[in-house]
Amino acid sequence: MSSLELRGLGARYGRKTALHGLDAEIADGEFFVVLGPSGAGKTTTLKCVAGLVEGATGAVLIGGRDMTGVEPYERNVAMAFESYALYPQKTVAENLASPLRSGRLGTWTPEQRGARIGEVTRTLGIDHLLGRYPRELSNGQRQRTALGRVLVRPADVYLLDEPLSHLDAKLRAAMRAELKQLSGMARTTTVYVTHDYQEALALGDRIGVLREGRLVQVGTPAQVWETPADAFVARSLGQPETNLLEARVHRGLATTHGGGATVALPEEAHGADGVLLGLRPRDLRIAGPSAPPDGAGRELTMRGRVVLVERLGRSRELSVDVAGRTVITVTDDPRVREGDDVTLAVAWGRVHVFAGPAGDGSPHPPRVGSALPVGGTR
Amino acid sequence: MTATRRPGRRRFSPASAGADLLLVLWFAFSLFPILWMVLLSLKSRADQTSTYFVFTPTPDNFATVLSEEGVRLTGVDFTGALLTSLVTSLGAVLLSLAIGVPAAYAAGRWAYRGSGDIMFTILSFRFAPELMVIVPLFVIYNQLGLFDSDAGTIWVLQLVTLPLIVWILRSYFQDMPEELEQAALLDGYTRTRAFLMVALPLVRPGIAASALLAFVFAWNNYVFPLILTGGQNPTVTVAVTRFLGGGGQAFYNLTAAAALIAALPPLLVALSIQRYLVRGLSFGAVKS
Repeated sequence: MSSLELRGLGARYGRKTALHGLDAEIADGEFFVVLGPSGAGKTTTLKCVAGLVEGATGAVLIGGRDMTGVEPYERNVAMAFESYALYPQKTVAENLASPLRSGRLGTWTPEQRGARIGEVTRTLGIDHLLGRYPRELSNGQRQRTALGRVLVRPADVYLLDEPLSHLDAKLRAAMRAELKQLSGMARTTTVYVTHDYQEALALGDRIGVLREGRLVQVGTPAQVWETPADAFVARSLGQPETNLLEARVHRGLATTHGGGATVALPEEAHGADGVLLGLRPRDLRIAGPSAPPDGAGRELTMRGRVVLVERLGRSRELSVDVAGRTVITVTDDPRVREGDDVTLAVAWGRVHVFAGPAGDGSPHPPRVGSALPVGGTR
Repeated sequence: MTATRRPGRRRFSPASAGADLLLVLWFAFSLFPILWMVLLSLKSRADQTSTYFVFTPTPDNFATVLSEEGVRLTGVDFTGALLTSLVTSLGAVLLSLAIGVPAAYAAGRWAYRGSGDIMFTILSFRFAPELMVIVPLFVIYNQLGLFDSDAGTIWVLQLVTLPLIVWILRSYFQDMPEELEQAALLDGYTRTRAFLMVALPLVRPGIAASALLAFVFAWNNYVFPLILTGGQNPTVTVAVTRFLGGGGQAFYNLTAAAALIAALPPLLVALSIQRYLVRGLSFGAVKS
């Protein structure tokens, strides 16, 4: 039960800088998810909090106490490693008993240990495996054992490194629901690392999006989803990925390459040479006779031709060619076929505008706001 | 024309038959000295200088070598030498383990200033010619009173056993995932306890393999005991040669018998380590 604060946390491996000064404040009992692609520095962040990275710079504060120079075994931090790191010569029960036997968490009698381990393993569904060795477990069982070794102990901070990545899809969904309740039960500050945006959105009280050792955005799932800080964050969340359309800026209007769509830009983007327009596939709809495009100009409309239809269970993913650019959308309408001419419509407010300063060729321009209706007022 | 080939069966071809024949010839050629030694060890005193393959075999030589008879005849206490070899080889391995396991752990886990140089120095003990250091060692041993003592032999055998143990175990420690120890640290164990609880049990196969290998090398060493254990306290390797010149007469048959007995322990050890060398180290601990 402690807050966690990162102040200018940095780490490097040889010449490569893994973390560029992370700052974050995580409240007591908060479930904080670090989301990022592989190599972004997620695991390094956890290891820095645990004190396992030699030569880390900046400071980690747990419960307000500066942990610089404090050995890992004195930090009262529990971590589930992505590689499991189960002791191969010990059974599941012995692995789980390990943190309770170290003597740093008070004295636990064998009965108390057994009761606690029983409780945790039952929740995780591995109570029938207590006598097995790690080599006799499936990857999913190993992962749950690693998780169990964390949950079994009262710690100030739980650090979970991709704890669900090796479970099959069904079990992952079940465990995700379970985890939320577990951590609620334990009420322990948790830093949870994942590359799966759905896990992040489902579990996190807040999400920190990590890219190349930098925290790009920190916010609640709703904030991160609705107002992504930049084009990278927009693409990190959502499947299919957010459409990013390059557009040229002229007199406050942005026209996509090929001229498929024109939008008015918010003030902040007027100075840019070019902008990226971000459109979530599920924000786009197919405007047809039954749902005509809004006549009052409250929507951006684009004409295009369906070039590919892929079935995803109930809905279909459409690749639509809009003036030479492919735009992905998802529809439940079963009548749409390849080769159809369609009109795509999206509310102005759902068109994200990403723009760097003039001449800035950044691949991940920041979000400056939503598009405005052309020639009209909102 | 292609016959159906069953798995595990080789088709006959002149080339492969020729290769097999060459292998058999090479095998016979390379093992011939040992065969000759076995024959010699079974010959009587009268036959010992003959080069015939046909003779009346006798097991007497082995009994002679190991009994008072051998001492009376040649002045060589072979059972005493066996004991000396056992004590010094075992002592050398144990001392090397006590020093070498922590050294290998440090070398396998951390790079510190000069760690590469230290490892190279230890390795250089292995490839530097023994004769290069034997004269100064002889002088030092005389001055320190270590000459002809078991302690002295154990000490000098470190040049043989320590590099083996350190270098073999270092690779074992390097192969062991660091996250296992990190998990132990986060479980609340100090680095020493993490080492004892996690790292050490996992390298047990490596310790066994390197210790046995080092034992064989220590047992087989000849030059150091030859110079540094003068008369009273020779090791087997030195004692074997004494049968050749003991009492003014060469006993080739006794030499062969003694050499066979001396070769037995390393042979048994070599057969027993194969199992350890092929065993996986930390299967199931870390996802592959």
